[in-house]
Amino acid sequence: MLFDTTQLALERAIEGAGKRHEALAANLANANTPGYQRVDVDFHTALAAAVGRGEDTRRALDTLSFAPTRDASAGATRADGSTVDVDAESAKLAANGLEYQAAVSVAHSRVDILRIAMGAK
Amino acid sequence: MGMFDAFDISASALTAERMRMDVTAENLANAQTTRTADGGPYRRKEVVLQEVAKGGGFAGNLRAAMGAGSSDRPGGVEVAGIAEDSTPNKMVYDPGHPDADANGYVAMPNVDSVTEMVDLISASRAYEANVTALQSAKTMFSKTLDLLR
Repeated sequence: MLFDTTQLALERAIEGAGKRHEALAANLANANTPGYQRVDVDFHTALAAAVGRGEDTRRALDTLSFAPTRDASAGATRADGSTVDVDAESAKLAANGLEYQAAVSVAHSRVDILRIAMGAK
Repeated sequence: MGMFDAFDISASALTAERMRMDVTAENLANAQTTRTADGGPYRRKEVVLQEVAKGGGFAGNLRAAMGAGSSDRPGGVEVAGIAEDSTPNKMVYDPGHPDADANGYVAMPNVDSVTEMVDLISASRAYEANVTALQSAKTMFSKTLDLLR
């Protein structure tokens, strides 16, 4: 039960949210860099595509990679050509942090269930 | 592993924004300086920021040497240099000034205190945003460490 695909998916979600945090932190770091184009990690889509493949889910989860991509859709928010909106990045950062903690909490609970089943007090 | 990359990214921004604040402070301090080592009045300085080349630095090179994909990691920010503002000096009529020219005009630094104050606020707010990102990363990672308990 501990190493089933749900736990694996949780682990990958934690990894994805961690990578996304790096991307969003890099955007904030470059908020004042002229011409900077924001990056993002779309781990939700990659994860959703991997989960629910039946027998292949485990392999799909194992080979998932979360690479940051340039967000070409974002228009320039500043005169210097930077596409970083500090407010939007901060909001995304906060939401992503909570998502990360939620995934960690669920993973923790699943480990706790196993621990209780093994007779831990 | 990339656990502490987020710290490095935010820390690079803290350094860069602090540098902006330092340079702004220097500009404000020298707003009335008419003599410099190069001769002539003080010239306004500006920090030029650039994105850190991906996978650069020691960690990036190490990762590349170990065959791990280093090109797909977001980098932080760094100070590319400190440039001089090329706008002309302000000519102020002050015949009594020791540095006045034959017509009584003194070349004053091209520092505009309003611009400097706006830059200062911008740097200060950007600094705060990056501190928040750093704290968020800290909370996330300590939460992960709780998994071990």
